[in-house]
Amino acid sequence: MVLDLTMSMAILALMGALATIAGCLEDLESDVGSQSNPNSQVQLAPQMGFLHRIYNKAVSGEPVSNGLSAVVAGTVTSVLLSQNYYSLTAIVIGAFVGAIILAIYATTSYAGRVASQARFKQPLYMDIMRYTTPTIMAHNFIMNFCLVAICYIQYEILGYPFTIPFLALIWGISAGAIGSSVGDVHYGGEREFQNREFGCGLNTALSGRIVRKAESGIRNSIDNVWFCAKFGGPVTGLALGLTVFFSSWPTTIWGYTWTAVGVGILIVLVFIILNRLLEISVRDAYGPYKEEKNEKEAKA
Amino acid sequence: MSDIKERSPNQLMAFGIFGGLIGIYLTLLLPLIGDIIGGPIADIIITIAPAFGALGGICAVMWGADAVRRVAKYGLGTGVPSIGQIAMGMGIIAATFGLAIVKTYIIAGPIVALVTASVIGFIIGWFAQNVIKMKIPVMIRCMTEIAAAGAIVIIGFSSAVAGNFEFNNIMLHVYDNGVMLAVFWVGAMAILHPFNACLGPDEKQKRLLYLAGSTGAITMAVIGIAAIMTLGTSGIITFLIGVVLWFIFYKKFWDEVYLDASSVVGTGLIPKTEA
Amino acid sequence: MLAIEPSLLIEYVLLIAISGAFICAAVHFMPVGGAPAAMAQATGIGTGTVELAAGSGLVGLITASYMYANEPEASMVLVVAAGAMGSMIMLASAMFSGSLIYAFGVGVPFASAQVKKDPITGDRQDLYMSKGTQGHGIPTICFVSGIIGAALGGAGGGLIYFTLMQIYTPLIAASAAAVAGVFTMGVFYVNAVIPSYGVGGTIEGIHDPKFKRVIGKDIFTSFAISLICGIVAVLIAQGMVA
Repeated sequence: MVLDLTMSMAILALMGALATIAGCLEDLESDVGSQSNPNSQVQLAPQMGFLHRIYNKAVSGEPVSNGLSAVVAGTVTSVLLSQNYYSLTAIVIGAFVGAIILAIYATTSYAGRVASQARFKQPLYMDIMRYTTPTIMAHNFIMNFCLVAICYIQYEILGYPFTIPFLALIWGISAGAIGSSVGDVHYGGEREFQNREFGCGLNTALSGRIVRKAESGIRNSIDNVWFCAKFGGPVTGLALGLTVFFSSWPTTIWGYTWTAVGVGILIVLVFIILNRLLEISVRDAYGPYKEEKNEKEAKA
Repeated sequence: MSDIKERSPNQLMAFGIFGGLIGIYLTLLLPLIGDIIGGPIADIIITIAPAFGALGGICAVMWGADAVRRVAKYGLGTGVPSIGQIAMGMGIIAATFGLAIVKTYIIAGPIVALVTASVIGFIIGWFAQNVIKMKIPVMIRCMTEIAAAGAIVIIGFSSAVAGNFEFNNIMLHVYDNGVMLAVFWVGAMAILHPFNACLGPDEKQKRLLYLAGSTGAITMAVIGIAAIMTLGTSGIITFLIGVVLWFIFYKKFWDEVYLDASSVVGTGLIPKTEA
Repeated sequence: MLAIEPSLLIEYVLLIAISGAFICAAVHFMPVGGAPAAMAQATGIGTGTVELAAGSGLVGLITASYMYANEPEASMVLVVAAGAMGSMIMLASAMFSGSLIYAFGVGVPFASAQVKKDPITGDRQDLYMSKGTQGHGIPTICFVSGIIGAALGGAGGGLIYFTLMQIYTPLIAASAAAVAGVFTMGVFYVNAVIPSYGVGGTIEGIHDPKFKRVIGKDIFTSFAISLICGIVAVLIAQGMVA
């Protein structure tokens, strides 16, 4: 379908907004369940004698599990659309089925991983299972809804050559990849080791020695998402939103030409410069951790 | 590792290959038998035929999950999921090839696909072992097995959606509407998830196989929903069988968890340890 | 039997093999630190090689396919460039946002453990490494290396897609995009996993000593396996004729 410029920009903005929500919720969902790379610490903790009350949602890496829920949601949505359901209803039901499937996988991985750690005496807490799983579903549902809505727009309105499940899978993988490379750092680098001095970096010797006490009581995964929702989640949302927006923006304005590709490369250059500026400011702010070697030699 | 009462790799391989192929071929044979019998029974037989493809897929999932378990025990350096992805990557290439190349000899399709997958898997395993030098003794064998299982999973679940494994049919019902991606990804998860979810020093094969059955059955249920779009009633049957099987395997998995886990408690404080 | 001449077929097979090598090379450029990076214990992005390569490369596949759908006469280079662009934007935005977290969420300066000085900016790295870690964050060299990697990955994905569309469109116009897309994903994953085994899950980018050590044999492996995939892809087309 050919749209005029105003309309295509409006749709692009809508997609960007949906992607921002999806990215944010994607990261928070992985923090609720403790998934992906930071989960290696949760997995390691009982071995170090640190038994805990944190969910262990090892449904593989985030991209894979998000791809799973998104592709199921996309498939169910296409089935319902083929039965002439109203599109919004179809997307909502699809997203719900995707969330159920992910929740089933989540329960098996929590139970399976804890059962495989029997020798470290890690108990399987059923109350954690009972109230964290619906929270995972709730986060995942919103993410599925936003992602499938983007795919619906791309397929039905913009006329992408791939079908809804295909686009849903790709965006699901992409959202997961961004979520695990951006938001997870906040959970793994800061929240799991919050009792250490801010900015000290994480000594490898501390691996597995995660924080187990919450602001009040024993920490569980809901406490973690409360913390990560302050920074990690929104920044992840920003990253996915920018990705969806900027990957289509040049071609929307400049058409399918070399100019658009050039503008895309220009955007990347701007990102490189921004990162460099950030690097300089952070290096100045935190300063070097070690003295210059020459000085040490001079002393000796 | 618990060496007591484990299913041997060969046993599971036979189960996967024969179970898988029988399931896949029944999707083609049952309608033929139905045509010969005629009458109301024929309708029933024809309607339930596609579900057997998915059942074959579950057999292959259990085999694949065990193969993943054997190779991933060595530590791949990139986590368990990567091997499931490569399995389905190879599987989808081989399955498309096998079904397309046979043209009119439809019946040979799945076997050609199986052989192709094994060859590609063997080559990748050989390269991984000898060029990349991964030093995992079971690499070649497991890579071959995983690729073959991947191909059967793809064909099995695809034929449950398309009705049979004739290439044009699959193209129309599985590729065009994007259901292939669901088969691809949910199938990959079914193979890689059991070991990933049971990872740990006290991992047991029995629990893993029940979980593999449960993930396979989830895949069957999802595929059943997709098949409602293409086949109508058959899809509903596939979905229902999938849900029932899932319930059985999921229950069995939980029974094992209750047996294996250190303790299962409703709630409570963290037990005291030295740390 | 086929409308395509043999010389063209060989070209297609080679193009697919080259794209496989591109994807394989892409993984080596990505500054991926795996689980330690997610804890700010190692330099790079805190995720796995396979998924980051796939996540960015597949966004490239979307942009490349949309470019091809809207400009069916588009030259191969334009489609490939569109793929590279989409992929680069995804990774740039992910890495920049990751940097924000390292800077303000975890509070560590960016430092690489593999080099003493950043080859691009000349900044000292070893002084900024906190105690007991292997570096943290994404210094400029890693960022640039990652962008190059993403460009290669997106280009590789776009190139396979373009080649397969050339083969399949004359035979099965309606389903060509679906089959080409699925097949691209298959080849993509195979070629993303192989180098991940080669690098052992983590690599810092072009300046990492590991880079020179493994890239040769990984690319050779990927090229050989993609060659087989290419032959299989062309043979599938034979099956479609009947």
